[in-house]
Amino acid sequence: MVAPGASRTLTAEAFGRFLRWLSENDERAVLEYQSIRTKLVRYFIHKGCSDPEDLFDKTVDVVVGKIDTLREHSSPLAYCFGVAKNVWRQDLRQRKPASLGENIAVPTCPDLQIHEQELKCLERCMDKLSPGDRDVVVRYHQGQGRDKIEARKHLADGLGGVNALRIRMCRIRRDLRVCVAACLDQWAN
Amino acid sequence: MKSIADRNLMREYLLGKLDNQTELEDKVSDGIVNNQVMIDIVDSVEDEIIEEYLEGSLNSGDRAAVEKYFLEPPQRKEKLRFAQLLRYYFETQPLHHTATNRESFVRPPTPWVSHLTRYGAFAALVLVVISTLVYVSGVRTSHARLENQLAQEREHSANLVKEAELLQPSIVALTLVADRSRSAETPIPQVDIKSSTQRIIVEIALHGVASGPYEVRLETKRAEGPLWSARLLPIISSNGNARLVFDLPARGIESGVYSFVVSSPTASVGHYDFQTKFLN
Repeated sequence: MVAPGASRTLTAEAFGRFLRWLSENDERAVLEYQSIRTKLVRYFIHKGCSDPEDLFDKTVDVVVGKIDTLREHSSPLAYCFGVAKNVWRQDLRQRKPASLGENIAVPTCPDLQIHEQELKCLERCMDKLSPGDRDVVVRYHQGQGRDKIEARKHLADGLGGVNALRIRMCRIRRDLRVCVAACLDQWAN
Repeated sequence: MKSIADRNLMREYLLGKLDNQTELEDKVSDGIVNNQVMIDIVDSVEDEIIEEYLEGSLNSGDRAAVEKYFLEPPQRKEKLRFAQLLRYYFETQPLHHTATNRESFVRPPTPWVSHLTRYGAFAALVLVVISTLVYVSGVRTSHARLENQLAQEREHSANLVKEAELLQPSIVALTLVADRSRSAETPIPQVDIKSSTQRIIVEIALHGVASGPYEVRLETKRAEGPLWSARLLPIISSNGNARLVFDLPARGIESGVYSFVVSSPTASVGHYDFQTKFLN
């Protein structure tokens, strides 16, 4: 067991044992691993953890340590998730309590040159959206104050309600975020 | 018992408010991990929290939960930054993209429509002449009615202007480029604070760059305080210019002269004075 707070990485041996436990078939084992990883990292993000990937590695370490007794476990995800919950509880107990007077300021801008490139990428990615999605995102951001509220209300009415609009906007933002990240990567290389 | 798809319950979960309610917290966690349909709902509630955080419309409890819990994962910080980028893009470049003008869509004619158009052209011309006559007559009779409507629209616009005055932005910007030693002969910057102002976005241009974080304290001109403090890392541009960018709660700020005292272990202390004016 690694001491709390220590930096850790999943060793190749542990990773191999974990994969074998997931499935004897290599391809299936990798797919299962990716699925479990995605779900558990997302879980740690939802729980406000500062290093979700590290907590996932810790989870796998714990599971690997018990693999010999788990040969017959029917649902690797369910088992890993149970361990992940304990890892999160432990992490929660170890978090430094924030002092009452502490102010956390979030930087609002990156480097100026990157910021300008991000805007160019965003412009490009907006053009790549389907006309329907572009229409929704533009109308969603149009206007100020009461005009904006009214515009969003009309938009929601046309899409089947406020929740439908929120989910649609969420998917569009996700598409734009992925597109801008890819565009920035291309620019940086 | 609320369904786990309930957005308010999801919101409490994402802000860490269920962490001490083991049974309920477990139920929501299980629901999210085992049900792919929940992913979109969770993501959209996350977006909603970020949007309200940026608008400054969260209550103080939720705001604190966002800053001390929700924004801990780097993935969420990145999401917040992207939301800021999107807002900035639409606030500063609104003309680049406009909503689809449905009237501008033109469909290519189909063959049978072409034939019909050719043979029906004359009939259409006659129809247009008759319609024009009817229209001109209609315009005359409705002119008075339109004038009446125009007067009503003007009155409505005046009301909207009054309403707009009530809907002031909740964020104001303050840029400080010269510290006290360099600004003796120039007037100190002023920021107008309205009753609707909730946050002041502050940008301080630094002279030289120190390694490590800067300590920023807000004091009154008579060095009373600190009224607020934070430890911040500077943002450094490619040409070496450094600045601190942060947001300051407007609550408690009154009309008067204040100073940001900026210090670091490896740089001299700078005083950035500014004046606030409270507008009703």
